[in-house]
Amino acid sequence: MSQSTDGKYVVASDVGGTCTDTVIFAAGEPIRLGKALSTPPNFADGVLNSVRSAADSMGLSLAELFAETRLFVHGSTVVDNTLLTRDGSVSGLITTEGFEDTLLMTRGAYGRWGGLTEDGIKHPVATDRAAPLVPGERIRGVPERVDYKGEALRPLDVGATEAAVRYLIEEQGVEAIAVCLLWSFFNPSHEQKVREIVNRISPETYVTLSSEIAPVPGEYERTSTTVINAYAGRITRDYLTSLQALLKGESYGGPILVMQGYGGLLPAEDAASRAIGMLECGPAAGVIGSRFLGQLMGDEDIIAADMGGTTFKVGVIQGGEFSHAREPMVDRFHYVAPKIEVVSIGSGGGSIISIDPRTNVPRVGPQSAGARPGPVCYGQGGTDPTLTDVMTLIGYMDPDRFLGGTVTLDMDGARQVFDEKVATPLGLGVEEAAFGIYRVAAAQITDLIHEITVEQGLDPRDFVLHSFGGSCPLLCGSFGAELNVKRIVVPYAASVNCAFGLVSADIVHEYTHTATRPVPSPAAEINALFAPMVEQAVAQLKAEGFEPDRQALEWAVDLRYGRQVHEVTTPVRGTTPFDDASLARLTDDFEALYERRYGKGSAYREAGMEMTMFRLTARGVMDRPEMEKMALGTTDSSAALMGTRRVFVDARDGMAEASIYDFEKLNPGNEIAGPAVIHTPITTIVLQDTQQGRMDEYRNVVIEFG
Amino acid sequence: MDPITFSIIRHRLFRIVDEAVITLKHVSGSAITNEGHDLMVSLYRADGSLLMGGVGFLHHLTSAAEACKSIIWRFEGDINEGDVFLLNCPYTAALHTSDIYLIAPIHYEGTLVAWSACFVHVYDIGAMNPGGFSPDSVDIYTEGFSSPGLKLVDRGEIRRDIMDTLLNMVRSPEMVALDMSSMIACNNVARDRMQTLMAKYGSETVDTACASLIDQSETLLRERLRELPNGRWQSRQYFDVKGETYRVLLTMTKKDDQLTFDFSGSSEQSPYGINCSKWASWGGLFAPLFPLLCYDITWNEGVIRPIEMIAPEGSVVNATRPAPVSIATVGAIQAVNNAACTCISKMLSASEKYASEATAVWHGSHFAIFMFGRNQRGTDSIGILTETFGGAAGARAIGDGVDVGGEVPNPISRMANVETMEWTFPIRYLFRRRQQDSGGPGKHRGGTGAEFAIVPHDAPDGGIHYVISGKGTDYPMSEGLGGGYPGANSNYRWVHNTDAANDGANLQPFAQALNDMPGEKENIAWGVYPLMDDDALYVRWNGGGGYGDPLERDPAAVAIDVRGGLVSGGTAKDVYGVVLDAGEVNDQGTVKWRQTLRAERRIGEAAE
Repeated sequence: MSQSTDGKYVVASDVGGTCTDTVIFAAGEPIRLGKALSTPPNFADGVLNSVRSAADSMGLSLAELFAETRLFVHGSTVVDNTLLTRDGSVSGLITTEGFEDTLLMTRGAYGRWGGLTEDGIKHPVATDRAAPLVPGERIRGVPERVDYKGEALRPLDVGATEAAVRYLIEEQGVEAIAVCLLWSFFNPSHEQKVREIVNRISPETYVTLSSEIAPVPGEYERTSTTVINAYAGRITRDYLTSLQALLKGESYGGPILVMQGYGGLLPAEDAASRAIGMLECGPAAGVIGSRFLGQLMGDEDIIAADMGGTTFKVGVIQGGEFSHAREPMVDRFHYVAPKIEVVSIGSGGGSIISIDPRTNVPRVGPQSAGARPGPVCYGQGGTDPTLTDVMTLIGYMDPDRFLGGTVTLDMDGARQVFDEKVATPLGLGVEEAAFGIYRVAAAQITDLIHEITVEQGLDPRDFVLHSFGGSCPLLCGSFGAELNVKRIVVPYAASVNCAFGLVSADIVHEYTHTATRPVPSPAAEINALFAPMVEQAVAQLKAEGFEPDRQALEWAVDLRYGRQVHEVTTPVRGTTPFDDASLARLTDDFEALYERRYGKGSAYREAGMEMTMFRLTARGVMDRPEMEKMALGTTDSSAALMGTRRVFVDARDGMAEASIYDFEKLNPGNEIAGPAVIHTPITTIVLQDTQQGRMDEYRNVVIEFG
Repeated sequence: MDPITFSIIRHRLFRIVDEAVITLKHVSGSAITNEGHDLMVSLYRADGSLLMGGVGFLHHLTSAAEACKSIIWRFEGDINEGDVFLLNCPYTAALHTSDIYLIAPIHYEGTLVAWSACFVHVYDIGAMNPGGFSPDSVDIYTEGFSSPGLKLVDRGEIRRDIMDTLLNMVRSPEMVALDMSSMIACNNVARDRMQTLMAKYGSETVDTACASLIDQSETLLRERLRELPNGRWQSRQYFDVKGETYRVLLTMTKKDDQLTFDFSGSSEQSPYGINCSKWASWGGLFAPLFPLLCYDITWNEGVIRPIEMIAPEGSVVNATRPAPVSIATVGAIQAVNNAACTCISKMLSASEKYASEATAVWHGSHFAIFMFGRNQRGTDSIGILTETFGGAAGARAIGDGVDVGGEVPNPISRMANVETMEWTFPIRYLFRRRQQDSGGPGKHRGGTGAEFAIVPHDAPDGGIHYVISGKGTDYPMSEGLGGGYPGANSNYRWVHNTDAANDGANLQPFAQALNDMPGEKENIAWGVYPLMDDDALYVRWNGGGGYGDPLERDPAAVAIDVRGGLVSGGTAKDVYGVVLDAGEVNDQGTVKWRQTLRAERRIGEAAE
């Protein structure tokens, strides 16, 4: 598959909530971009529209493009959307008798406060648990029991199971059944028997087993995951099937690879049975894209920040590796699946500025003016002041050259509304209030990034900040300085980063085996746990066309200290299969990782250590797109200088004269001294006082601190 | 002070507390801290007054302030940068001995500018019974190590003599050592972040912002109080210990912008550890006050200023030394929580604007069951059954209570998975599910509690033992509101073999209900019991209180509850007055039957 050589193009399409982005790569040709509105619930239409817009720019029809395409890579928000709109299959749940309420009780208040902000948590009387995807009448317990060792204490009662399945299908009309029995990850035989029974009674019913979709301890999270997968499974499968048919109809005969939330690709056939894997795959692709860019530029430690109209999102790459979300949620449901950690706040260009009438405290977001009516300055009837309006008031936007001159900004309108709704209530002048709001927005971002770096034992000073999206480059000079990052990169492909990430990802299969082994254990015993996973992985990659030199197997083990709740996934850095030395190194690495994550003094060696899960990541290494590298020319940027303008300069606490540049006229090698503003067709880059910018050989703008 | 800087500093202060909480959970790594969220971190001003209360067990916010003040007084002239103090004496400021406060001064450029304080429920404190709750104790002297204040860390150096002495007095010292490390690390993070904040904005600006924040909270709460009607509201909480009944009587008076909580008429102190000290009652009334009245106000000293308390000395809510208090947090303090919740909600109900904020009592009675013994891997283990953190929400003016929905004084608790518990202890669960008819009936139903049963499994010693200090078994403690019934009371059964059951054919290893279990089902609530051999432990925990008259409940909602098994047919008919035919509401029958029930009530009233 990866070695397929028919056709020169690689097409990548990412379906987001608003837009579907496409990038097209071919060796030796410039990157082509396409964009179209997403088309829920029939997302596949938007995909074709987006690819068509890119094909148009190349002077090709869809069929002509696809005839020359060897690979189609895809990310989609279809599963997230199914959950948000509650549009999934009518689903039932089968549990161990006596534990039917596990999903409904959500480990107590955890499902009530999970996913709430500070304001929500402080106001419990106003909070409720989300209505479950499977209501109580579609949950049935069956007599059976497996214990904590995986020993079957009580066999599955086949008659009772048949009755439960018939009840769900015939009386409740379920289309999908989730099965989650206690300790099934140690002994899946009862769950498998339940599936056999369902298949016998109703072969068309969609079944998800917890021991397959989430073979990990913790029955609440495992049940919730299994239910989400059953609920969204059929829609996901149908969606990918229809996409395949549509592409085939346009003459595309190659493979389709689908992005997963853990940042790897799966062939569409495999992805179709794992709806849960596609959750939040767009932001994951963004982080992957950032990693690829970092590799090109020689950076391994990156904070990848993306700010558009409504949301600010950020992920962290350390040593080329991602951190994984610990208690992921979708909507207000918990689930457990490997997923790149990306955190967010409701702060973007369209975020509405409001003043709490009782405390006079200003807030940015989380409400957004959206694309329509949008900020006041767009002149489309917006009447609420937004962050974008603030940016115009402090001189960051060029009223005549916004979005390449296609929109003229209504400065007077923005000023009037801001004065009335923000500055006057605050008792401040317009400029002063606007500086303040800018700082509030930057501080919120700083706090969020602090959360996923400093609070996890990472020092932002070791990291390069990648600044993506339409709004991030306006603010990154300020929050980047406060976080004291090494430098800032505003990537050339900033607007289509997620699609860019799709083509820089590998096929990745994740295998896990849950078992507990003491430390130390003989190497041979641990190797025996890995052996079946390795065998399966190698066969799978081979079947997908990866030769041994294109296969990468990464081993990892979850360890914890005795009587402690925190587990740390520790990558195996020594030789595999294990020998005594590499096994010893594993525990050393665990201890170092533990102390880094949980703080000095947190390690509790006296209670000993144990291994709790064995993980194999099997990677089929894909070709990376070749990026066109340009020659570096003169440092003199005067050819791109458009003039000067007074803009807000944070460190000077007021407006100051800044040079204004046209990105399109900048050449690799050009240098710019802050304070300065660079206008690009999609965003505006602000260099704060004493910051030094230069355009690198990929047309990225790199900002260093003076 | 300019509103922008003010708002940024306010948010930073909250983030500092949040980060310190995460540090506490990370380093501690214990189940009670991580699952139960039985912890607290807060910031205090240089004089010890509350600056920024974190989200944890809220009755600690004010008592840790008293702890700070006590340290300031006791160590005057000897408070240095890098010091950490320990205080856990309930008669000084703490709630009970096992909730240890570690308190640290924060200096900036050599000047004391603030304090941080935190607690976790430590693994053990050396009381008569393991785990901190000590039902067998009859005085403070047998409730473990207790200090009114000592210096644990001197200018950044741990005082080994002190630490070793402390660890010498507790079970599983290595676990307690980890709890202590977590609190030291937590205070360190709070100090570092406060210093960074001051470096960026200047210590004077930060201090001014803190003072304004406190003034703002006071202004906002006083404004809110003025919007509410003047009046007096009362709540009586009864609770039972070993056949004796105790009462907490609360009269809350609101006048203009002042609130007075008067506990006159409460029972005299008890020989059992359910008592609490004055500062514990003070904290106990704030635990519901913060989220019920100040959900949109920063929790700090400003909220405390308009509040007064009267607590008679020598009573269960202001016990005098040497009365035992180790059960206080799930004893008298919880009764204070409940009574304050009811009084505040009654006041809210009397206001058109705020009536929607009223709630019946949530999870009126914790059950602290600590398991101890050798687990399946041969290790000595002590730990709480975390189901008590599952709770049950009270019904609210705006809707039903959330089933197994937690509690108000600890807004972000949760219980552990069955698989986690079976992995940690040599036990096996027979069932764990929501409990029928446990939610207090009302126009809005209280959230249900739940029931579970455990048996020993794979225990090297044939089983383990547990300490139980339960209450709320004879009387329900989740009070209803506005005509709502209380949530069901709790029940604990030690199921053990009778002679007849000893023939070996009596076991029902997969029993699905208490009634399926052979053997004697003995009611228990207090003391140490075995879970050995063929024993089982059955626990049914209380539901939340109901809101409004159950005869006004939408009959369709009752039918849904009956179909879902949350309400029995009998309760639907007798309490809700709903007539069901094959699970569907009989409209006419219901109207008539409700008329009959109302008429019966009037007859009953006339007879009285």
